[in-house]
Amino acid sequence: MTLSPGAAPSAGGATQPQHVHPLTPWVHAMQAAPVLLIAVVVPLGNAGEFGAWIILVALVAVLLLVALIAGLAYLSWTRLTYWFDGQGDFRIDSGIVTRRERRLQLSRLQGVDVVQPLFARLVGMAALTIEVAGAGDSRASLQYLKYEQAQALRSEVLARAAGLTHDAGEAPEEPLVLVPPRDLAVSLLLRGTTVFLFLLTIALVILLSVTAGWAGLFMILTAGVPIIIVFTEFTQFFNFTVAKSPDGLRTKAGLFQVTAQTIPPGRVQAVEFVQSWLWRRRGWVRVRINVAGLSTTDDNGQNQSQMSTVLLPVAPYPVARQIVNYVLPDMDLLDIEMKAAPPRAHRRAWIQFRNLSVGWNDRVFVTERGKYVNRIAVVPHARTQSVRVTQGPWERSLGLASMHVDSPPGPVTVVALYREVAEAQRLAQEQNDRAQAALRADPSTHWMTQTGAGDSDEQSVADFAPPTGLPSEGPPPPVEQEGRPAAPSSNDGTPAGQSPPAPDDLRDS
Amino acid sequence: MSPSIDSSFRPPTEAWHPVSPKLTTARRLVLSITLLPLTVIGAVVLVVAGLPIWALVAVVAALVIFVWAWWLIGRRVRSFGYVERQDDLLVTSGILFRRLVIVPYGRMQLVDLVAGPIDRSFGLASVQLHTAAATTDAKIPGLPPDVAAGLRDRLAAQGEHRSAGL
Repeated sequence: MTLSPGAAPSAGGATQPQHVHPLTPWVHAMQAAPVLLIAVVVPLGNAGEFGAWIILVALVAVLLLVALIAGLAYLSWTRLTYWFDGQGDFRIDSGIVTRRERRLQLSRLQGVDVVQPLFARLVGMAALTIEVAGAGDSRASLQYLKYEQAQALRSEVLARAAGLTHDAGEAPEEPLVLVPPRDLAVSLLLRGTTVFLFLLTIALVILLSVTAGWAGLFMILTAGVPIIIVFTEFTQFFNFTVAKSPDGLRTKAGLFQVTAQTIPPGRVQAVEFVQSWLWRRRGWVRVRINVAGLSTTDDNGQNQSQMSTVLLPVAPYPVARQIVNYVLPDMDLLDIEMKAAPPRAHRRAWIQFRNLSVGWNDRVFVTERGKYVNRIAVVPHARTQSVRVTQGPWERSLGLASMHVDSPPGPVTVVALYREVAEAQRLAQEQNDRAQAALRADPSTHWMTQTGAGDSDEQSVADFAPPTGLPSEGPPPPVEQEGRPAAPSSNDGTPAGQSPPAPDDLRDS
Repeated sequence: MSPSIDSSFRPPTEAWHPVSPKLTTARRLVLSITLLPLTVIGAVVLVVAGLPIWALVAVVAALVIFVWAWWLIGRRVRSFGYVERQDDLLVTSGILFRRLVIVPYGRMQLVDLVAGPIDRSFGLASVQLHTAAATTDAKIPGLPPDVAAGLRDRLAAQGEHRSAGL
């Protein structure tokens, strides 16, 4: 496809400074209008005899405020320019009073998002968010571009970051999976926190109805908390699609605000499969990732940062594994032999001790923990930042220690909890050796110019479900999993070496 | 089981460098100038409030904590150790909460050399390594400034030599 006039015409070299779309000030103003209207008019709804006049004045005030916002937005629009410089980096100049020149080093690119807030979406506009590795303010947002222009600029940024000096155009996209809204809704309702809050509400209503009569029914308001949580995540992850393209894995989701995100290959630092207790019989997992720069404490809007760390909101485990194979290729999770924690770990972790295990192959290190929220964390050896062994007083009294693999900030924690002390030390030393070996063989950051042109080749596409959606029935529930909570029978006396219960999460289906 | 556990966070196969014993003095000084005035203030407030028995209890409790912390500081400072190996740095510490950190030189993003006012007055400085992971907890306190600067320079050189990005 041809790049639209706003984007760089001569890819590879420096480009002329560009403005974002001229309608930007208007979009900003219209986005603010409903909020202002509600804020001003609602409190005046019962304003007595001057009601009509006050409302009229308020409306005029709102109009003036909107015009003021539009004016300021216009000023900042005139000052906002972006271009690619001669060194191949992305530059943004902005600011009305304080001028700010930003330079985003594209060789450190971590991800590119195309975000469409509701109103911008209605008028066909989008914001482009560029994230580079680095602490603090490592993210820049261009508001707003025409949707096609934003997409063209995204591929341009990705192509340049990948080391391509010519105009590669929009990389072709191949859909991999679509999360059906029904499955998403069911999965959110079946989450532990949702169920717990609903049960709590019912208990409170019954308790207070008995003790305080009808007033107890007011407690039904606490049911609003889980409803809000479920609704927020539902709109955020609505129609979640994952597609693959040579410049990375693309996710796209949203009911009102649509966010499209591209994760270049090799940028994922760690992956976690999270399974709520009630998801187990359906074999569902959520996939979360650590990507350097997408810290969860990002101040740039909770939606975006949460979006960035969820690779799949819900999917059957085999599907999730396939998708993860695109961001961490060739890791063969199924062949990894998981070693359970020693039996005496149950004196430290009464509930989850059967779910504590650790394993590795020549590419990745895997840990599992948690019973009611089961978490399987995967970190490639080449992404191991450092390793730690820790021991608190309680662990010490039992001769246990925990081994950690440090990963950049994100939702995924990689920790082998409660191992024998000597084993934890050995795990740390061996993981350090594997990490060092992987470090010496680490490929460069210019992934598109390497042999194989990206990791996503044909081999794993054939057996993968077409973009028709998740197989709605999912795999049959494995018997061991169902039996696990109720039957503590055979595993108690098993020696620590060969894993009894834990790895079936990795092996099943 | 204690001897094996004690050496497990400090494998005897490595030549561990200790930190300066002056760190014990410095930390005990910090303990004294924070805990003792607080104890006095608390006791006075309780006496004024007409609770002399509680004031006595508080003073005794504070003294017990003081003695215990005093003793713990000595052990904790002796527990610090670091080794510069060929490809990585090992840092160990802790009595109640033990840790052993292994940081490959190629993963270091920056090395901090920090000396607060109390540290400086005792001729101490601390070196801290940072990787892309915030959880990498590799701080070596209580080094003489020249040792700390030398360590910082060697680590920085090693990191530059092997830097692997993310």
